[in-house]
Amino acid sequence: MSADQTVVSGESVRRRIRNGALGLACVAIAFYLGFIALLVFRSHY
Amino acid sequence: MANAHSSDTAHHDDHHDEPAKGIKRWLFATNHKDIGTMYLVFSLIMFFIGGAMAMVIRAELFQPGLQLVDPVFFNQMTTNHALIMIFGAVMPAFVGLANWMIPLQIGAPDMALPRMNNFSFWILPFAFTLLLSTLFVPGGMAAGGWTLYPPLSLQTGDSFPMLIFAIHMMGISSIMGAINVIVTIMNMRAPGMNLLKMPLFTWSWLITAYLLIAVMPVLAGAVTMLLTDHFFKTSFFNAAGGGDPVMFEHIFWFFGHPEVYIMILPAFGIISEILPTFSRKPLFGATSMIYAIASIAFLSFIVWGHHMFADGMPVAAQLFYMMSTMLIAVPTGVKVFNWTATMWRGSLSFEPPMLFAIAFLFLFSIGGFSGLMLAIVPADFQYNQTYFVVAHFHYVLVPGAIFGIMAGVYYWLPKWTGHMYSMGLAKTHFWLSAIFVNVLFFPQHFLGLAGMPRRIPDYAVQFTDWNMVSSIGGFAFGLSQILFAVVIIQCARGGKKATAVVWEGTHPTGLEWTLPSPAPYHSFTTAPEVR
Repeated sequence: MSADQTVVSGESVRRRIRNGALGLACVAIAFYLGFIALLVFRSHY
Repeated sequence: MANAHSSDTAHHDDHHDEPAKGIKRWLFATNHKDIGTMYLVFSLIMFFIGGAMAMVIRAELFQPGLQLVDPVFFNQMTTNHALIMIFGAVMPAFVGLANWMIPLQIGAPDMALPRMNNFSFWILPFAFTLLLSTLFVPGGMAAGGWTLYPPLSLQTGDSFPMLIFAIHMMGISSIMGAINVIVTIMNMRAPGMNLLKMPLFTWSWLITAYLLIAVMPVLAGAVTMLLTDHFFKTSFFNAAGGGDPVMFEHIFWFFGHPEVYIMILPAFGIISEILPTFSRKPLFGATSMIYAIASIAFLSFIVWGHHMFADGMPVAAQLFYMMSTMLIAVPTGVKVFNWTATMWRGSLSFEPPMLFAIAFLFLFSIGGFSGLMLAIVPADFQYNQTYFVVAHFHYVLVPGAIFGIMAGVYYWLPKWTGHMYSMGLAKTHFWLSAIFVNVLFFPQHFLGLAGMPRRIPDYAVQFTDWNMVSSIGGFAFGLSQILFAVVIIQCARGGKKATAVVWEGTHPTGLEWTLPSPAPYHSFTTAPEVR
C-alpha cells in the first residue's frame, strides 16, 4: 500500500478500516473453527 | 463501531479536547494514550502478582524437602506464574507500548478503532480476576502446567471452566488488539510514510499482530476442545474414546511457538529504536532487520515439533523440526550482528534504556544459544523436562522480553510524563536486575544438565547449592523490581522537565520526538508530512 493512499477522504478511510477489521476478524474465526473442524473430521476416519 | 480519525476528521475531537474527569476517563477511555497507560499499569500489577508466585516457587526450592507449601499448591504456582506472566504481564505490556507509541510513530491521531481498543483492555481485568479467583474454588488453581496437556489438565477441579473462559477472554482481547494495530498501521500513516520508512518498533508490531491473529484462535480452539472433552463427553484428546492426547500438544505448540515470538519481536523493535539513539548512528541494515523479523515470524509456524521431540516422532520429522529450528538462528544472527554493528564505532552513552538494551543483547543471546542446544534432537532427549529448559526460556523471556519492555519504558517514559526520571535510581535498578537475573537463572543451566527435573517441589540433595544460589538471586531480583515501580511513580508525579527530544545530545529518529513532552492528549490531529 502506498503512503499516498492514506491521504484520502474520511469516508474512504473509515470503509477501509471497517473492511480490514472485519476481514481480519473473519480470518481469526476461520482459524478457530477450522482447527476444531479439522479434529472433528479427523475423528471420523 | 468506532470512529476512524484522519487529518480531515479532526473536528471529531473538538468535543474531547481535555480528558474526562475521574473514573470515567479510564472506564470510557478511547484515547490511545489513556488505554496504553492502563495496559502498562495492569501489566505491572500482574508482573508483581506473577513475581510473588515465583517467590513462592523459589522459597520452596531453597533447600530439598518439602518446607513451605504442599506439592499441589507448588504446581498451582508454577502453572499460574506462567499464565500470569505470559498473558497478564508481557503481552499487555507490549500492547500498552503499542497503544502509546504506534500512533505517535506513524503520525496518526489515535488508533483506528478506539472503542474496540477500550473493550480489548477492559476484558483483561475480568479475565485475570476470574483466573486468580480460582485460588479459592474447591480443588484450587489449575496445576497441570501452563501447557494444559490432557489428560492431566482434565483432572483440574472446579477451576477448570473458569480457566478456559479466562483464556478465551485473554485471546479475544489479544485478537482485537492485533486487529486494531494492523488496521491502524495500514490506514493511518502520515503522508509520505511508506512502509519502509516506518520505525522498527511499529514494524515489529505489525508482524506480531499478524502472528496473534493466526495463533490466538488456535489456542482458543484447543481449549474449547478440552472443555468439550471435560464436560460434553467428546474425545478429541481422550485416547479411551479414540482421541489423541498428542494431537493437543501439536495444536498447542502450533500456537505456543509463535507465541514465543509474539513475546520477543516487539522487544526486538524496541532495541532497534534504542541502540541507534544512544550510539548516535543510524541503525545498521534497517531493511534487513525488517526482513529478519518477517523471516523469524514465518519460521515460527513450522518449528513447533521441537517442543515434542521426547514424545516420539519419525526421524524425518525430527530432522525437519531440528533443521528448521536451527534456521531461525540465521535471521536472529542478522539482527544481533546488525545491533552490534550499529554500536560499532558509535559515540555510546549509557543511559538506562541503553543499559537495558545492551544487557538484552548479551543475555538474550545466551537464551538463543541454549535454544540451539535444545534444538538438537539427541541432546534434547537429555535436556527435556529439566531445569536447563527453565533456564533457557527464562533467559529469553526475562532479560529478553522483560528487559526489552523495561528498556522501552525507560526510553519513552519522559515523553509520556513530561518529566525526566531519576537516572541514579534507574541505573541502580538496572545493575541489580542485570546481576541478579544471572544469579537467578544461570545456575539453572547447571541444575538441568545435572538432571534436576522441572515442576517438582522437592529434589535430590546434590542439587542444593545451586538451588540456594538461584533462590537468593530470585529474591534479590524480585525485590529490585520495586525500584522500577518507584522510578515510574516518581516520574509520573513530577521531576525535571523533559524536552521534546528528551535525550539531548542524541538524535532519535521518529515522529514521536517532534511532539512536546508530555505528548499532548490529542496528537497529530493534522497529519505531519514525512519526507
